[in-house]
Amino acid sequence: MFVYRSEFAVEAHPLDTVARPGAPTRTAALWQRLRRRAITTPGKLALVSMLVVAGALCFGVVATLAERSRADAARAARTQSEPLLVKAVTLYNSLSDANATATTTFLTGGLEPPQRRAHYLQDLRLATGSLTTLTRDISGSGEARSAVRTISDELPVYSGRVEAARANNLQGFPVGAAYLRQASNLLAVTILPAANRLYAIEAQRLGDDYRSGTSNAPLVALGIAIALSLVILIAAQRFVARISRRILNVWMLLATLVIAGVSVWAVVGLVGERNALIRAQRDGSDSVEVLTASRVLLSRAQSDQSLTLVGRGSDEASPADFQKVMSVLSPQGGMLAVVGPLAARTGTGQDAQRLAQEFADYRNQAGKVTALQDSGRIGDAIKLAVADAASPSSPAARLSFDLAAQANAAQARFQSQAADATSALSGLEIAIPVLAVAAAILALVGLRQRAREYR
Amino acid sequence: MRRRLPEVLAVAAAAAAIAGCGSTSDHPLRVALAALATKPPATTTSSSTTSSSTASSGASCSHPEASLRPGAVMPTPGAVPHGSFMERIQRRGYLRAGVDQNTLLFAYFNPQDRNIEGFEIDLLRQIAKAIFGNPDAIQFRAVTTNERSDALRDGSVDIVADAFTITCERRRQVDFSTVYFDAGQQVLVPSNSAARSVKDLGGKRVCATIGSTTILKLKTLKPRVVAYGVPQRTDCLVALQQGLVDAISSDSSILLGYEAQDPETKIVGPRFADEPYGMAISKAHPEFVRFVNGVLARMRADGTWERIYAHWLGKVTHAKTPAPPTAQYEH
Repeated sequence: MFVYRSEFAVEAHPLDTVARPGAPTRTAALWQRLRRRAITTPGKLALVSMLVVAGALCFGVVATLAERSRADAARAARTQSEPLLVKAVTLYNSLSDANATATTTFLTGGLEPPQRRAHYLQDLRLATGSLTTLTRDISGSGEARSAVRTISDELPVYSGRVEAARANNLQGFPVGAAYLRQASNLLAVTILPAANRLYAIEAQRLGDDYRSGTSNAPLVALGIAIALSLVILIAAQRFVARISRRILNVWMLLATLVIAGVSVWAVVGLVGERNALIRAQRDGSDSVEVLTASRVLLSRAQSDQSLTLVGRGSDEASPADFQKVMSVLSPQGGMLAVVGPLAARTGTGQDAQRLAQEFADYRNQAGKVTALQDSGRIGDAIKLAVADAASPSSPAARLSFDLAAQANAAQARFQSQAADATSALSGLEIAIPVLAVAAAILALVGLRQRAREYR
Repeated sequence: MRRRLPEVLAVAAAAAAIAGCGSTSDHPLRVALAALATKPPATTTSSSTTSSSTASSGASCSHPEASLRPGAVMPTPGAVPHGSFMERIQRRGYLRAGVDQNTLLFAYFNPQDRNIEGFEIDLLRQIAKAIFGNPDAIQFRAVTTNERSDALRDGSVDIVADAFTITCERRRQVDFSTVYFDAGQQVLVPSNSAARSVKDLGGKRVCATIGSTTILKLKTLKPRVVAYGVPQRTDCLVALQQGLVDAISSDSSILLGYEAQDPETKIVGPRFADEPYGMAISKAHPEFVRFVNGVLARMRADGTWERIYAHWLGKVTHAKTPAPPTAQYEH
């Protein structure tokens, strides 16, 4: 019962207001005047003008927003997230390589070859250099900052232990091996996981930029805005043609052509940007990620191998880790199996095959060292490992060099495609708003010509 | 207008279709991250099994150090008895010995000349000399504490000299020669420490290898010390140098090696546990045990043992070379 009553009450309300004198009659009168004016031709023309302007401006706003969102993402990928990812990769790589170098150099005993020492120091410099850039440029993320802090805090401790290992090794003291093991352990347990977190964060950020830089939403919104503004413009021209019996209104036709032209430009730009960015990932950064991860793993395998020799049979963890890392790297179902299909995308499949061959050579060579050690000829095993470490043409050196070279080539492909992505949109930033306003003005001029005829 | 609308929509749809071809995927990145996250495989710590084999003093025997008596006549080099294990070694051309390579003075891989050297190594070379007449007819193989008994059983080494303390439990798995070195558990402290023996270390942190007999002994000491376990022997010296511990407890043989590496340390107090070292040999070759005991007996008698001891340990102990440990034989 109550429900019915309240409904009655609602219906009763407008009756009350109508009954009141003054205001309602004024609105009704205004409405009457507008309706009378609207059914006249000049009135209709004014209404059409408003619609056309609204359509053109709506197109301008939507197209600008669509272009902005894509351009921002493409630019961020090219100038921020990918370069930061490269820095994170450099950090990760140089730390891993520093340890591989320190452990193999340790094997030489007292007299370190100067170029190995220089190599180790160069790795440390690269690592601290990347760390400085990352400290400056990582924004926001607390996790990234804490990872950078961990590395900054522990790296001096690590290098201190490496130096203690060297000093003891120089005197022939076996405690040097314990210092080296401690240094390696600090790297493996604390420093490299932080570098890995940093790498994952930066890679995720690049992935986000790829997603927003290739998202279909801006293109769909643009399509709707184009359709709407063109439909309004064309409908307006039909209306004008009917009332004026002139088929062509040059101004309005120009406005339509401007909108259509800038639409084509924007669609081509957005599609071009999207395709270039997809290529940047598919031909560039995908390979960079897989190749650099392989290189980090190779360094880890080298460190494991050296630590096995340094342990002289007392270390069971390093040989087990070596086996595991080698199977993760392997071209049979491991990382190097992923490199092939990625390289095939850019027609560099033979490079991937060379990597597989170099990996097989490395595994072979590592097997020789292990066999020597297992048969008790540890001195010969060390001699072979040391000779390998010093030689730029050893299987490990060739594999490492090739991984780096191919990663650099992929990085260059990324940079050129990402540059294409940003340049695909260049000019649109200004052209869209300017031309949308121009189209609105042209259409208004055309409509006013007709309106003037009715004065 | 009605006719145009579908056409415009068709254009928009076509544009969307062009854009839709190809898309981004983070599959390679996921592969890379998964590979980088590879965890080191879990390995059994070499010490854990040692503890189980040596800690259980349940297996008791009256004279664990009593070994097999050597034959009346020692075979001359190159003329070992026909059908004996020594003959098999001779035919192979070299003796295979399982050793540690990280114990300075005892068995140590010298990184400068890439040679294995030390007290135990020289004793083993004497065994090789007794078989071949050549002390260099020997191949040293690094064995971990964990694998040394298995290495003997599966025949990958002929003999092990690796700070191997003779216990009743271990005698069930392998045979031992007579005692070639009488080690004992002691403590090593920084040279500025006020501690004069393990009794002064109550409440202090004392380092030992995880799972070793040493660390078990530490837990029974009065006054109580805080046992600080490390995975490998040499890690204790690092812990002491970094100030993480106040002392190291280990066999005297190992402590001597630490002292030689760090002049700012000293061994203090009497030994509080005996660790008699014997060379281990597979139970399948009693004739080889007798042969090795014969070589050891000759070294004790002709001063070779003292010479080797003085060469390796004399310069660190700064004490008179002791008499070699007396051989005990089974009756």
